[in-house]
Amino acid sequence: MTALATPEVTVTRSRRKVGGNRRTTVAVARHAVLIVAAILCAGPFLWMVLTSFKTSAEALSSPPTFLPQTWRFENYLDVFAAAPFGRYYLNSTIVAVASTIGQVVTSLMAGYAFARLRFRGRNILFVVLLAALMVPFEIVFTPLISLLSMLNWLNTYQGLIIPNVPSILGAFLFRQYFTNFSSEIEDATRVDGAGVWRRLRSVMVPMAGPMIGAFAILSFVYNWNNFFFQFIAVTRTEMFTVQIGLSQLQSQEGAQNFNVLMAGSTLAVVPVLVVFLIFQKQIVAAIASSLR
Amino acid sequence: MTSTTVPPPATPPPAVLTVRPDTLHRREGRAGYVLIAPTTLLLAVFYLYPLVQTVIYSFTDWNPASADVPGFVGLQNYADLGDAGGFGSALGHTGLYVLVVVPCAMAIGLFLAVVMNTPFRGRSVYRALIFLPYIAPMVGSALVFSYLLTPLGGVVNSVVEGFGGRAIPFLTTTPWAMVAVLVFSVWHQIGYTMVIYSAALSGIPSSYYEAATLDGAGALRRFWSISFPLLAPTSGFLAITGIIGALQVFTQVYVLTGGGPLGSTSTVIYWIYQQGFVFFHGGLATAASVVLLLIGIAVTMFQLLVLSRRDTVELS
Repeated sequence: MTALATPEVTVTRSRRKVGGNRRTTVAVARHAVLIVAAILCAGPFLWMVLTSFKTSAEALSSPPTFLPQTWRFENYLDVFAAAPFGRYYLNSTIVAVASTIGQVVTSLMAGYAFARLRFRGRNILFVVLLAALMVPFEIVFTPLISLLSMLNWLNTYQGLIIPNVPSILGAFLFRQYFTNFSSEIEDATRVDGAGVWRRLRSVMVPMAGPMIGAFAILSFVYNWNNFFFQFIAVTRTEMFTVQIGLSQLQSQEGAQNFNVLMAGSTLAVVPVLVVFLIFQKQIVAAIASSLR
Repeated sequence: MTSTTVPPPATPPPAVLTVRPDTLHRREGRAGYVLIAPTTLLLAVFYLYPLVQTVIYSFTDWNPASADVPGFVGLQNYADLGDAGGFGSALGHTGLYVLVVVPCAMAIGLFLAVVMNTPFRGRSVYRALIFLPYIAPMVGSALVFSYLLTPLGGVVNSVVEGFGGRAIPFLTTTPWAMVAVLVFSVWHQIGYTMVIYSAALSGIPSSYYEAATLDGAGALRRFWSISFPLLAPTSGFLAITGIIGALQVFTQVYVLTGGGPLGSTSTVIYWIYQQGFVFFHGGLATAASVVLLLIGIAVTMFQLLVLSRRDTVELS
């Protein structure tokens, strides 16, 4: 923990001494730490992409090569030949987008109510939800799958989407956000006679923009990556999502064709990357506006 | 939830509203129920109902694959949990995960958030790169790890051999398989804890730090006296979500090790999945779920007590 604040300590000292050298040292140290962290975190993905263009022999060569000796783009065709990944993409997109919209809307509503409205049983209900938050969805999956089977919802979009819509974590996050938020503006509009729905629509939702953006990312990522539930709720190939398809590819290609496996992984990672890069700007803007 | 008919002012209204008539509260209270309805009703159907069934089935010989009415077997399933191979060790692995992954991910995430707290050139690039493991689909990133760790031609083993060591079959030997699962999980979580801590840090008014600096407090002192206590709700939240995440661990185990070798990386959810969907021991699977449920309740109680105390430190 001491190491935590060390860079800042030296920053202030260097300011006091008006010495530029110390500050440069701090900047170098900071970048060194962050470069190591960035390589450890992002390096495996770079490796994944590079390997996806190698031959299977080169992918397993020792010592490893960095850039592919011959670029083999056919690995991607091999992935689509091995399984209908186009269909998997469509399924993943439908499930992730619909679940995200559902989670954002229901969580925002619930979070606002728990933070700002007073009704009987509010605190007890919230404690019950918090308790439920501690007990993951995964615990109830055996009877849940029987329930979905009874509804004939296995291997359907509604079966993959609707059980995922209620998000306790989302309600918790929005409640926390609204609670930490000054209530002056809302109180002013309340005194002016604006009702709950009016305040929610014209005051709270616009103010919650950064939170909506942040939670939408988490929600989309969670739903796009949600392997476990999809894995047990789907058995038919035409309802496979990208994640299930990829896990099946692993058992198909085994430990032999890591180049094809990495091509499949790249296909699964890229859409999330694109979405993340779009939302990254929104996060930065949200941080900037909160500093104002 | 439905007892809206008798709404006495159970809690004193906040000072701002003392001039408002009581009917306003009643009307707004009703809107509150409507607003929480989608979340609570869907949870009731797809969470609470299966949860009740879980508890009931845990006392039966339920077979998920058959349509037969399950027979009552009393506490037999719970007795079998103790004897049945693997449940105890799966529980231990989940506990190990909580003790290792949750604090490590929080500490590293906080460290990186503090390092990146003041703006500098390239900050958002670093942040995006470090956040990458968390947003990437876990099946994909776990596959990459299985490739990096493979004995023949994996990068990690190339390094090991480069230093004169012998290739280690990381994913198929103990204790390496568990180490690999834990390292992968910390690697996966760091970006999340970092971003949450960063957001919380940027939410602390800079005037607090300015005032403290004027009073002569150094950076270390400012961190411990301002940042750290004000981050307490965030830390509590991360601990909660971290433990929930630990109870849910399945995907990385499924992809990296398949629970092996010999069950040495099997987690509770993985074990329950195998009992319920591979061996069709529904009774045993639900009994194990109930044990997990009881653990969850115990942890919640503890967390709620700690959190409610910490809330008083929050910004007012």
